[in-house]
Amino acid sequence: MRRRDFLRTTTGAASLLAAPRIGRAADSKVLRFVPQANLANLDPIWTTQYVVRNGSLLIWDTLFGVNDKLESQPQMVEAYEVTPDFKTWTFRLRPGLKFHDNEPVLAKDAVASINRWMPRDPTMGVPIKRQLDALDVVDDRTFRFRLKVSYPKLLFALGKSSTPVLFVMPERIAATDPFKQISDYVGSGPMRFKKDEWVPGSGAVFERFAGYEPRAEKANWLSGGKRMNFDRIEWKILPEAATAAGALQNGEVDWVETPYTDLVPMLKKSSGVVVDIADPLGNIGVFRVNHLYPPFNDVRARRAVQIALSQSDYMRAVVGDDEALWKELPGFFTPGTPLYTEQGGDYLKGPRKYDEAKKLLAEAGYKNEPIILLVATDVAITKAQGDVTADLLGKIGMNVQYTALDWGTVGQRRASKEPPDKGGWHIFHTWSAGADCANPAPYTGLDASGPTAWFGWPKSDEVQAKIAEWYAAPDLAAEKVIIGQLNQAAMDFVVYIPTGFFKAYQAWRSNLSGVVKAPFPVFWDVSKA
Amino acid sequence: MDAGGHAAAPTLPDVLPEPKQRGRVMGFVHRHPTIVLGGSVVALMVLIAIFAPFLATVDPTALAPAKRTRPPSELYWFGTDMLGRDVYSRVLYGSRVSLTVGFSVALCASVIGTTIGLIAGFTRWVDAVVMRVMDGLMSIPAILLAIALMALTRASMKNVIIAITVAEFPRVCRLVRGVVLSLREQPYVEAAIASGTRVPVIIWKHILPNTLAPLMVQATFICASAMIAEATLSFLGAGTPPIIPSWGNIMAEGRALWQVKPYIVFFPAIFLCITVLAVNMLGDGLRDALDPRLAKRL
Amino acid sequence: MLAYFLRRVLATIPVVLMVALFVFSLLYIAPGDPAAIIAGDQASPEDVERIRASLGLDRPFVVRFAEWLWQVIHGDLGTSIFTNLSVAHMISQRIEPTVSLMALTLILSLSIAIPMGVIAAWKHGTLIDRVVMMVAVFGYSTPVFVVGYLLAYVFALQLDWLPVQGFTSITEGVVPFLRNLILPSVALGLIYMALIARITRATMLDVLSQDYVRTAKAKGVEQKGILFVHALKNAAVPIVTVVGIGFATLIGGAVVTESVFAIPGLGRLTVDAILRRDYPVIQGVVLLFSFTYVLVNLAVDLLYTVFDPRIRY
Repeated sequence: MRRRDFLRTTTGAASLLAAPRIGRAADSKVLRFVPQANLANLDPIWTTQYVVRNGSLLIWDTLFGVNDKLESQPQMVEAYEVTPDFKTWTFRLRPGLKFHDNEPVLAKDAVASINRWMPRDPTMGVPIKRQLDALDVVDDRTFRFRLKVSYPKLLFALGKSSTPVLFVMPERIAATDPFKQISDYVGSGPMRFKKDEWVPGSGAVFERFAGYEPRAEKANWLSGGKRMNFDRIEWKILPEAATAAGALQNGEVDWVETPYTDLVPMLKKSSGVVVDIADPLGNIGVFRVNHLYPPFNDVRARRAVQIALSQSDYMRAVVGDDEALWKELPGFFTPGTPLYTEQGGDYLKGPRKYDEAKKLLAEAGYKNEPIILLVATDVAITKAQGDVTADLLGKIGMNVQYTALDWGTVGQRRASKEPPDKGGWHIFHTWSAGADCANPAPYTGLDASGPTAWFGWPKSDEVQAKIAEWYAAPDLAAEKVIIGQLNQAAMDFVVYIPTGFFKAYQAWRSNLSGVVKAPFPVFWDVSKA
Repeated sequence: MDAGGHAAAPTLPDVLPEPKQRGRVMGFVHRHPTIVLGGSVVALMVLIAIFAPFLATVDPTALAPAKRTRPPSELYWFGTDMLGRDVYSRVLYGSRVSLTVGFSVALCASVIGTTIGLIAGFTRWVDAVVMRVMDGLMSIPAILLAIALMALTRASMKNVIIAITVAEFPRVCRLVRGVVLSLREQPYVEAAIASGTRVPVIIWKHILPNTLAPLMVQATFICASAMIAEATLSFLGAGTPPIIPSWGNIMAEGRALWQVKPYIVFFPAIFLCITVLAVNMLGDGLRDALDPRLAKRL
Repeated sequence: MLAYFLRRVLATIPVVLMVALFVFSLLYIAPGDPAAIIAGDQASPEDVERIRASLGLDRPFVVRFAEWLWQVIHGDLGTSIFTNLSVAHMISQRIEPTVSLMALTLILSLSIAIPMGVIAAWKHGTLIDRVVMMVAVFGYSTPVFVVGYLLAYVFALQLDWLPVQGFTSITEGVVPFLRNLILPSVALGLIYMALIARITRATMLDVLSQDYVRTAKAKGVEQKGILFVHALKNAAVPIVTVVGIGFATLIGGAVVTESVFAIPGLGRLTVDAILRRDYPVIQGVVLLFSFTYVLVNLAVDLLYTVFDPRIRY
């Protein structure tokens, strides 16, 4: 790379003096992309971070993949058969699939990858593993699931985009313990990861893998043919929002995944820059409480926060003044999807009740202990939510200990089940992609199984029962009824508190075409003029 | 004798005739304009800090997300930030944090550095150990040392003061030790020791008065440096907790928006620059007034 | 001469050891279980135990320190907790931008500040002198990131002359290299320029008022140029001293500058590592910076003998 660039730039040096614009933008086979966060590691099974998944989408391929209607379509699978009782599933891989080391993709690689993924996916992988009778290799390209119970949603599990995604890795790499990071990034996808050019915190490079055979159909999110029009994709990590916006305006980068919302009007006015909503399914702001320790182990304390919380405050703080970008969300499911419901969400509507909240807190036995509020100050969404929460808790008379950390450390600390004053926590914030909250299947945040649930570890048998009922529902009408009841149960129990529904923008240079709206950046079928 | 080994030559003002006396106050102003200018601006900032609750228009921590990022207007003199907080009130309250950090660090570093420097100057073996430790501490770039210390503890103003003090006091220590070492050779000090005067008395009567001048000058520079260090720490995310408005914090929070809403960064930046400038000028003036020969050493 | 050199070198060894001691102890001063910190996010209790055993926390501190020191001397700086890459590798990836930035800043600062100081001394007492001094004081009264953003706004976004961010290695062309680094160097160098200009002026003034110089002037010796060169040579010692001491400030400023201009250097690596408590990286980089600082000051000490043969220790 060095030599190519050296020749290119020395011959172009003279012209650079005359034309101040960066000459490198003329290279139409290189895409320079600014991701939402730093790529600190690249193991999409080990971590649930979206940025790792987004990079992994380039490196590894999936057995199935969802389209923009969240319908799971075959990707690496050529054909499949399922018994009418949905207990036995047989899959055959497409011929000619290769890994980046030119080894063929075989059924044993798929099986090993599935085995690595199952224990790390709490909503679908873990239940599947529990009900698994056998997962065998039938022949080089065929493998079979034999389940003890009927599981109609298996295809969705294999093709969903919520983390962790089931990527197909070589058997030797997939044999790594799912609780340890892999260090070998040989993949099955359209791009190779250039590990030698990876500078953590600064940039990562992906190079086109000529041996990848895309499907014939047109690509749609994770389904269809992943045709790459770039030889090289460079991820530039620019933690300063103003620098990223400036770089896009100047043409130093081609595509910014998450431009800072307040800078969007300026970007919209810039010639050469296109700004649009990134994903119509949007995001849901998340306020997680720790159900293991007082005061929030008592539902009255959780209710107190719930009835005092003003979603409009949170949403304005997160996305700014543009009303088209946010809405209040008195429910847990994504607006605009078939299962959206507001049943039971009255707690979050109407004038906020500070006095009643204070009373409930007193009833719950809160005696002014410090509330450890973890705030990741380096991510705009979590910092904004954290600041509003600090203010909210003050309004209802709680003693807030605002703990400013970075996103990585929050990720570590939220996993701690220790008491809050011994390295644990009471509250942290995050957000979930709307695509992951459309129904209970990928919805990690809604799981209320207690110790195996997501951080916060809510335990509600009623919520779990409703989720199980939904899985068994015969049709959409029945699902809707159950989801309404589920929403109510989750609201009554306060599994977590949604802070609102918001959409985000993405911005790119106008010479880029094929950029689509999706919950993750879709790099195939994008080209540069 | 100074560091270069040159005898101190009489400077021009000694040779030329005395300027006309213009009355004591005006004379002072005329001879030491930097002290007056720097000192009055610092005094003004201190007054602002003290009377912030009365000068501010609203509670600096009150959120009003519905009124975020409004430009300066009659209601919000410096505009509002991205959570709807009034920038003017925050900047006023911010002066408290920045000045407190600056003065506290200057004071603590001076006291600690002087104490250690005195002990080191008088005790051979302590000197050897202490100077190595000081050299070691000074070899670690101040900002990295401060961030590392902040990373070990919870963010709070107290911890910021401690972290910056640790980075700054070695210089004071060196300075005081240097004075002690050079003064110990003086005939009158040797005579005092020989005649049995106890060490604390010697320190009080002979050493300390001579350290006061360079110490004061050094302290003002430490104060300025500490205020900038606090702003830098906040910028990097390792400073005072974001809830407490400090000039550094306000700038750090507003920096993503500086292209479209520059006032959020502009006003605290102006206040910080003016204050640091004033403190530096005060230091310069003090140095020129107390001992022009120090100009070379510092 | 050689004896002096050796003595100075030997004197730096205890200093470096002090720094190493502090850096090594960081992991153990920190609150929390060091083994758990290193094991990281999703480690199981068995992992933590395993790491605790490998750290050998039951062995005496001095033994552990000695072992770590031994590894460091052999170039093994450990493995990053967050990325699982070797610390030495991560440092080698990011050292070039930082060295380039500092070198350019140094060259720029010296070339601008020394003439500034000389002119101010020459025109002592006039408006030019006051202006130069005012600019200098402004230089070290403004935080680096404010200057950085201002420069980026004016020169990169408004005038569109230079890029907003990034780094181009000098092997890819001198012009792109300079275009990327000019704004950061100016932002970073402002403090340095201020200090150097002031010390140059002060020393020049001092030398110029010496007896023999005034005698020479009074006698009407015309070689103003020679006088200034002579004065400058004497100013060399304090200037070099300031350059040495100011180097630590330069490193601190580089951290901020690298953030603002997205330069993939060691400064940003260190800050990220510190905030994430990635102790092996912190240890490696802080050790490197301090060692460099010690070397720079050693070089300063040795340069003294070149400029002023009277200096001996």
